[in-house]
Amino acid sequence: MSSRRPPRGEYIETDTGNKVARKATLVGTQNIMLGGKTVIQPEVMIRGDLIRTIQASSQSASGAAPNSTAVSIGRYCFLSRGCCLRPPGRLYKGAFTYMPLRIGDHVFVGAGSVVQAATVGSHVHIGAKVAVGEFAIIKDYVRILDGTVVPPNMVIPSFSIVAGQPARLIGEVPEGGHEAFELRDIYKTVGNNPQPAPS
Amino acid sequence: MSSKRHSILPPAPAGSKPPIHFSSSITIADSALLTGTHPIAIHSESVVHPRARLDSLAGRITVGRRCVVHERASLGAVVGTSGRITEAAVTLGDYVIVEVGAAIEAGETVIGEGTVVGVGARVGAGAVVGKHCTLTPHTEIAAGEVVPDFTVVYSNGMRRTDKRGAAELRNKGLARQIDVLRRMIPSNPAKFA
Amino acid sequence: MAAPTPYTYIQCPCSDVSTLSHPSDPNSPTGTEADEDDRTFDPRAPRSNYSLYPLEYLLYCEDCHQIRCPRCVAEEIVTYYCPNCLFEVPSSNLKSEGNRCTRSCFQCPVCIGPLAVTSVETKPDPRLLAPDNIAAPHSGPYALTCSYCHWSSTEVGIQFEKPNSIHAQLAKLRNGGTTRLTAKERKERRRDPAHRSATTEGEESGEQEDLDLETQFANLKAFYQNQLADPNSADSGLAALGDLGFSSPTSLSRIMSIYTGGSLQDKKAKSRVGAMREALEPDEGLQVANLDESAAIEQLQSEGHDGTACTAQRVDQPPHLGEEHLHGRGRFTSELRPIPYLLRTKRSKRCPICRHIISKPEAKVQTTRFRIRLVAGSYIPSIAIRPLSLSNGGGSASGAAAVPGALLDPLRPTHYLLTFKNPIFETIKVTLGAPSKTPGRFASKVTVLCPDFEIDANTDVWDEALKEGGGGGGGGGERDRERERRRRKREEGSQSNNNHNQLEVGKIWERGRNWVSIVVEVVPASLRVEAGDGPLREDEDVLEIPMFVRVEWEGEAGGDEVGSVPTRDRDTREKRELAYWCVLGLGRIRQS
Repeated sequence: MSSRRPPRGEYIETDTGNKVARKATLVGTQNIMLGGKTVIQPEVMIRGDLIRTIQASSQSASGAAPNSTAVSIGRYCFLSRGCCLRPPGRLYKGAFTYMPLRIGDHVFVGAGSVVQAATVGSHVHIGAKVAVGEFAIIKDYVRILDGTVVPPNMVIPSFSIVAGQPARLIGEVPEGGHEAFELRDIYKTVGNNPQPAPS
Repeated sequence: MSSKRHSILPPAPAGSKPPIHFSSSITIADSALLTGTHPIAIHSESVVHPRARLDSLAGRITVGRRCVVHERASLGAVVGTSGRITEAAVTLGDYVIVEVGAAIEAGETVIGEGTVVGVGARVGAGAVVGKHCTLTPHTEIAAGEVVPDFTVVYSNGMRRTDKRGAAELRNKGLARQIDVLRRMIPSNPAKFA
Repeated sequence: MAAPTPYTYIQCPCSDVSTLSHPSDPNSPTGTEADEDDRTFDPRAPRSNYSLYPLEYLLYCEDCHQIRCPRCVAEEIVTYYCPNCLFEVPSSNLKSEGNRCTRSCFQCPVCIGPLAVTSVETKPDPRLLAPDNIAAPHSGPYALTCSYCHWSSTEVGIQFEKPNSIHAQLAKLRNGGTTRLTAKERKERRRDPAHRSATTEGEESGEQEDLDLETQFANLKAFYQNQLADPNSADSGLAALGDLGFSSPTSLSRIMSIYTGGSLQDKKAKSRVGAMREALEPDEGLQVANLDESAAIEQLQSEGHDGTACTAQRVDQPPHLGEEHLHGRGRFTSELRPIPYLLRTKRSKRCPICRHIISKPEAKVQTTRFRIRLVAGSYIPSIAIRPLSLSNGGGSASGAAAVPGALLDPLRPTHYLLTFKNPIFETIKVTLGAPSKTPGRFASKVTVLCPDFEIDANTDVWDEALKEGGGGGGGGGERDRERERRRRKREEGSQSNNNHNQLEVGKIWERGRNWVSIVVEVVPASLRVEAGDGPLREDEDVLEIPMFVRVEWEGEAGGDEVGSVPTRDRDTREKRELAYWCVLGLGRIRQS
């Protein structure tokens, strides 16, 4: 822990504890909000450039500065190698606009998955090679198994386990399974000073 | 808008800049990857997202009008024996959307007008996908397969016919989307010339 | 049964008749113990599938001190809600409206994806609907469309006038767009003499009147109710048989009274005996099944296989939702209807023995908190399995580090590290028992190198850090125990340092704050099938070790304080024990 690593590690570690791989592709970084302690592995792609072009009427009325956040990610999220986060887009009152993608805390996104949801809650596990369709809403404590295709606009309530093409409910997260969504431990295992996983 | 971070991509292999035929109205991201030896033609108002990969090593690549090729989509190549097949083109009709991570292999592969190739879908070499088809995410179309017009391929290979008759509406929506993308994606066609 | 990576399943005591009859008594555990020692639990037994659970699925009753599984707990529904719109449905609505969402939430009948309400008409040129022109209203008609497979309700001829309250609109529409009578309209029509005469006329002219399902049911119901109410309709000729047959209203109402519990049948009615006649005309609910299938054959010829609904689609269809006839329904995709979302529930769980609540979620749909959540994982040690390769000494520990899908070589001794983690705040003593040979046709040899060990308490991580830093903190008893624990750690540490990479019987492999790793040696069986024996059956190549785990600890008796008295004092502390079978799944054996 104390040993200084060579200055150019595989990851860029920010003040808030985010570990962003140098080989990750973050487009439009100024529109990507990271809550801290989030791991972004190599070859991850986040489309922060696809910002909202039509502001909600309430916002423009209040005169506040337009919020240009395209992708916001909470704390302790883990974006595995090769996954892609992009804001969903649709026609809104005759014009096309992207809408922000909001991701909560402790969200795991598996390798090669593509997430175009409107919101992903906290404590969500998205497996590998999953396609989450546009404007899907995934609530807290949801497990999406590998290879699932979540159709656009689908709502997945809390404590669901879904799989299949298109996704369907295949089970419920048991009471004793809540702790398995915690990503604090896996956070420590990557970065420039990776630590072994605690047993 | 944001060209500072995605400049870390590995440089394309030197000396393999394909000849290009770009319409002046296209939008192509700086970090799109164009490789190969055969010509790559992109017609008017089409959009190529960052990190899309167009490889004309096996044959000519033609992208129709008002197409959108999303990030990490891959057109062409994959044909292992590139030298043997003399003509292994990829042709996209007009209004085709190739979603994130979809792959269309080279080999006289045709995607018809108004078709959507879903996220992570794969169209094998020589497949001919008809007009206004929808390949849902993770669909696999085998090499040489022919998919009739208005087919929806869903749930791991199930097929049905799209009877909505919403093609025109969809194309209009796509035009709006392209309008927006054109403003968002800094286009740099000169880079590929 | 077989998961790809090593796994541990735990048997719930509910499947064990002996433990169920005398729930675990901490003071005299010997009785049940003796029974269990007699036999080895067979993970391959057909019943085992129903009693083995991963630790996360198990709950724990604090009053019975026993594991509870999803099969044995008693569930109570706290909240009903729609999984799509997440609105709570009061249970009173459930009785009247059924168990499906009555808002606008529907699933696609083709692919079960969610359906969205969209405007059918091609919108006017979108260029006219500039963002500033917000007020431009969408105009109908509307349809339900699936954004995944692009199914549209227009395919079955259903369109809506309004984009909201789709459920109510759909209830009035048949596939093809013809209207369907609501219950009220149907009632009115029955009373309406003009309609009645029209019906009879139609019959006279020879053509069979088409009753829809609801009308038929209503007619039948009215017809039989009339008969029940009117004893004079009794056929006196059959009176002698009346007491036996179900055709008599008396016996029917007697049966009814058994179920309703009320005194539906009073004494004076007993004398009236008669038989009921069956419905004879459409007015009474008679519907002659239409056996002429030429229309269906024709449709099949024109639409082909694509036009037919598959079994899964037919199963997903809610029963009796809009089809016109019972006979020959649901064959074609044109007969499919949007599926209203089935409601989901939040449920609390009770211990089946003492009826205490062991899990209770908060009632609000959107919250994920629990008021009570007694999960087995916070009472019994977790067991993680990891293959041990002796070359690198097994330094870094991670439960999921195994190469997934690796096959076990038959007859080659393999070592596995079992890491037991203690979740409770007391030191526990663990005793393991495993048969030396696994049950089944292909017996693998199993040796638990250290079947008897103690795991330190799950003290707070910060307590630990403080103690090791300053040595203060904690009561006298705490300190005593802490000292003892460290002493033991030192002893074991010195031993394991001397011969770290050697497997020694009776020695713990590694020990941590609240965990202990031990080694299990396994010699997988050869899967060679003897001549005359049957071929290898499904999953017979999976190596599963049954293991009996007994955990003993000293819990606090009652609610009195502990800190003041050292551990030696037995009076204030109560000895507890918990014993259960579990199954360690190690993987598949290579077939030679």
